Amino acid sequence: MAFLEVHDIVKDFGGLVANSNVSFQIEEGEIVGLIGPNGAGKTTLFNCIVGYYSPDYGKVMFKGNDITGFKPFQTNQAGIGRTFQIMKVTTGMTVVENIMVGAFCRTNSRHQAREEAHEMLHFLGMEEISEQYINELPIAKQRKVGMARALATKPQLLMLDEVASGLNHTETDEMVALLKRLNVEKKITLFLIEHIMEMVMTVSQRVIVLDGGIKIAEGVPGDIVKDDNVIKAYLGEKYAKGR
Amino acid sequence: MEKVKDALDFTDFSGVERFVLVVFSIFLLAFPWLGAGSFVKAVMIQFLLFSLFGMGWNTIGGYGGQVELGKAQYVGIGAYTVSVSMVWWNIPFWISMPIGVLIALGYSFMIGYPLFRLKGHYFAIATICTSLVLQDIFTNWKLVGAAKGIELPIHEHPDFLYMQFKSDTYYYYFIMVLFYIALFYMNWFRKSKLGYQLRMIKDDEEAAESLGIDIRWCKIKAYSIASAFVAVGGGFMAVYNLYIDPVSVMDLDLSIKIALMAMLGGAASLWGPIIGAAFLVPLDRFLGSWLGGHKGLIGVDFMIYAALIMVVSAYQPRGIWGIVEQLRGKGK
Ligand SMILES: Nc1ncnc2c1ncn2[C@@H]1O[C@H](COP(=O)(O)OP(=O)(O)OP(=O)(O)O)[C@@H](O)[C@H]1O
Ligand SMILES: [Mg+2]
Repeated sequence: MAFLEVHDIVKDFGGLVANSNVSFQIEEGEIVGLIGPNGAGKTTLFNCIVGYYSPDYGKVMFKGNDITGFKPFQTNQAGIGRTFQIMKVTTGMTVVENIMVGAFCRTNSRHQAREEAHEMLHFLGMEEISEQYINELPIAKQRKVGMARALATKPQLLMLDEVASGLNHTETDEMVALLKRLNVEKKITLFLIEHIMEMVMTVSQRVIVLDGGIKIAEGVPGDIVKDDNVIKAYLGEKYAKGR
Repeated sequence: MEKVKDALDFTDFSGVERFVLVVFSIFLLAFPWLGAGSFVKAVMIQFLLFSLFGMGWNTIGGYGGQVELGKAQYVGIGAYTVSVSMVWWNIPFWISMPIGVLIALGYSFMIGYPLFRLKGHYFAIATICTSLVLQDIFTNWKLVGAAKGIELPIHEHPDFLYMQFKSDTYYYYFIMVLFYIALFYMNWFRKSKLGYQLRMIKDDEEAAESLGIDIRWCKIKAYSIASAFVAVGGGFMAVYNLYIDPVSVMDLDLSIKIALMAMLGGAASLWGPIIGAAFLVPLDRFLGSWLGGHKGLIGVDFMIYAALIMVVSAYQPRGIWGIVEQLRGKGK
């Protein structure tokens, strides 16, 4: 029994099959990357696992329990955190309040939630923005808030949807270091969607490739970059863009 | 114990705000001895009552951001429970009022469960409809006086058990105590887990769900708390007016005023509903007595409210309190 098991997931948006019989497993403690061209179905797959969409077919098992059809709040309570590719820019709550909401997932005490939120801010080196509102922050920081509040729910599996997109070189390196720290220090299993190839390849121990809703490859980064199907999927996309 | 401490803890407000709160409290305490006439006293009682309504509405409507326009049905439940219990079984206010609150809670869970499958405008319309349906039932329900309503038996002597007093001063202090209970409760609520979760729901429902929040259940809880608040106010209305009918305690008018006052003053802020009531109750009373003498002007008051709400929401969606914060440089 693996930590996360995804069996035969199918998601059909009225004829457009965004996920077509996708299966894979993730072991506890791993860092797994999910890549694929635009529209490959990566975010859809995340949503099927976490419960934003209910898959038309297939099964999701987490720690031996069938969580297919769970609502997002239930999968979170079960121990899966996730961030969003597009973070909504809000004006109603400060950064520390956002993280407190995450912490409230596991406690009823406001004082404890506040304490945990400050610890999280410290861990992520974000103390100086704690009293700011999301709309006042640059995109890279907004994403980090999204990560911080997901982390505050104390997930065992964290699913990150393009946390590094739009980051510059140094910021990307920092993100890579942070992800490794989360994995090593906090023992969190990571499953991340990423567009920046170098980043996925450096951070992931294993990579899954989607194209047109189908899993076309899976393996260690070194093999994936040499895989014919993967090269075709990416080059094909480039040619299409060139026209 | 920690809850009580949080409820009484206003330290996260600025010095000016706390100072105003103290001065305002002294004024409220001293008010009956300032020699105001009965009209002004009645306006003050209305002000405190609508502040109570508005604070209740603020849980679901303000912090939760759900446009709730059906609070009158719960005012009605509170008022009718107290009235019917007294007329039929001679049950004292202090027993019938809590029963009314329990009925309101039960009913709000029943209504809230299907209601919160809906979102946005559909939710707002549905809240109006459920309230209108209940009002219709009471308007046709012979047993509870139908459209004629219920008159409460007047006791010869003042009676604390039945909350019957000759002088308005007693009613004034009673509603003032309720007002403070509500204020302290809301001061705790805004800092509570549910308060934070509701604000997250208002900001970003998708994200809230990803943080382990059962959105629908949170909304139902807040809706029920709001309903309990206004049911208490309804019970008060029954013993204060000694007469209720489906129009006075269940009309759409009332639902809209409750929401409007809180929004005008500043939804999702502790002071908002109080500020809103301080503006609109006197205006409402003044317009009421003035328009009463001018047939054909019925509805003008609502046109004025509509204009007010449009001006406020165009200029500062967070209401009068939002404007104040903006002027103090705290606005965003
Ligand atoms: N709610 C939806 N309704 C209909 N179609 C959808 C929906 N969500 C996604 N799709 C479609 O499904 C396909 C896969 O989308 P998805 O967002 O999963 O891709 P992705 O791999 O995350 O792409 P990107 O790299 O651009 O984020 C796309 O063609 C998209 O248009
Ligand atoms: Mg995507």
